[in-house]
Amino acid sequence: MRQSLAHADALYNFARWLARDPVEAEDLVQETYMRELGAAHQFDPGSNLKAWLFRILRNAFIDRRRRSQREGSPPSVEDLDADGERAEPAMGELQLDQIRALVAEDVSAAVHALPESFRTVILLDLEGMTEAEVANVLGCATGTVKSRLSRARAVLRDRLAAYRQYAEEGSR
Amino acid sequence: MDCGKARELSLDGLRQRLPSELAAELREHLSGCAPCSNHAEAERVLSEVLDASLPQYAAPLALKRRLAASWPASTPAAAPPRGIGRPAWASAMAMAAAVTLVVVGSTAFFVQQRSELRQLESETVNDHLRMLGGAPLAQVTGGLHEVKPWFGGKLDFAPAVRFAGNDDFPLQGGAVEPFLDRRAAVFVYKRRLHTASLFVVQDNGLAFPTSLRTRTVRGFSVALWKEGDQGYALVSDLNLRELLDLQAEIASP
Repeated sequence: MRQSLAHADALYNFARWLARDPVEAEDLVQETYMRELGAAHQFDPGSNLKAWLFRILRNAFIDRRRRSQREGSPPSVEDLDADGERAEPAMGELQLDQIRALVAEDVSAAVHALPESFRTVILLDLEGMTEAEVANVLGCATGTVKSRLSRARAVLRDRLAAYRQYAEEGSR
Repeated sequence: MDCGKARELSLDGLRQRLPSELAAELREHLSGCAPCSNHAEAERVLSEVLDASLPQYAAPLALKRRLAASWPASTPAAAPPRGIGRPAWASAMAMAAAVTLVVVGSTAFFVQQRSELRQLESETVNDHLRMLGGAPLAQVTGGLHEVKPWFGGKLDFAPAVRFAGNDDFPLQGGAVEPFLDRRAAVFVYKRRLHTASLFVVQDNGLAFPTSLRTRTVRGFSVALWKEGDQGYALVSDLNLRELLDLQAEIASP
């Protein structure tokens, strides 16, 4: 499946956001392609190659995190139950304006600060995947993706508004 | 439709993924429900911010070269019939070289295209700052009908701009300014105290995107798009939502 190499940029971008480290991101992409080659016989040619590759990459990332935990690293914020986060009430126009004024640095920080499960659905959604495709990557039901995406976006909006408010207070 | 359902569908509605009947129901609910309308607006703003400001990382060329070099020479579908092909090692090398060319070539194209877009965005902001610095504007007491003929003889193309301004975005005037290696027709619109500049150029050799692309550059909202053989660059210190309102007016047929 030589065409899978055409997804290298998208996979690397996803890996960068998951791992937060360029070296680990490269390792993850390489591992993804190695795993793909090893499991090529399991791929159904009629199914979605991109979603399959993203699923392999995410599984590789989770395996690495589990290994590092077994080796004694403390659990990170990634491991906390993201379902505990609750959406905030609807925003006012002022908060929306605050979010519009954010710069790339703030947006990056807010996305990085999300739990892994939330970050993943946000990134896959930005990749243009449908909820069914995201469900394929995560190995869960479409309804789960819908509710997780909704909660992830609510948490992100809340954090982005908080960043802007903090920046404005700091500049006074 | 109740509020719970409306909020559940608002993101799909934003992405135009709803069947027309459901989309109409959603629109009807939003038009009469301020909290849900506010929620939908919040979803739209978040999407805009993520699209415009979340960095995208391209895989390093070295990684792509490594991937291509380590890729198997052939797959069953691509393997030549037995007995008439080249030796296996030759096929392997040819395949690796071909994959390297494809991957490295596509990466180079991707990187170059991205870099050219950045150059266009940066040039747009620079030129807008020059306009704000006091470049002379053509008189436009008669609106677009006075501005467009004014360009005659100053440009080697006729800028395809139909939006003559309205109460929200009155047209202030026109100018001819350098834009990279060519001359641009500039249309200046106002929004309250904000100024928005629209640069129109012949796009040959420039990387104007075929679909609308927006980004925030040095605090300015920038929109780039292409129509026919002309490239459009719209820039202002307006927020992205208001800039998009103006862009919609300009691009409206």
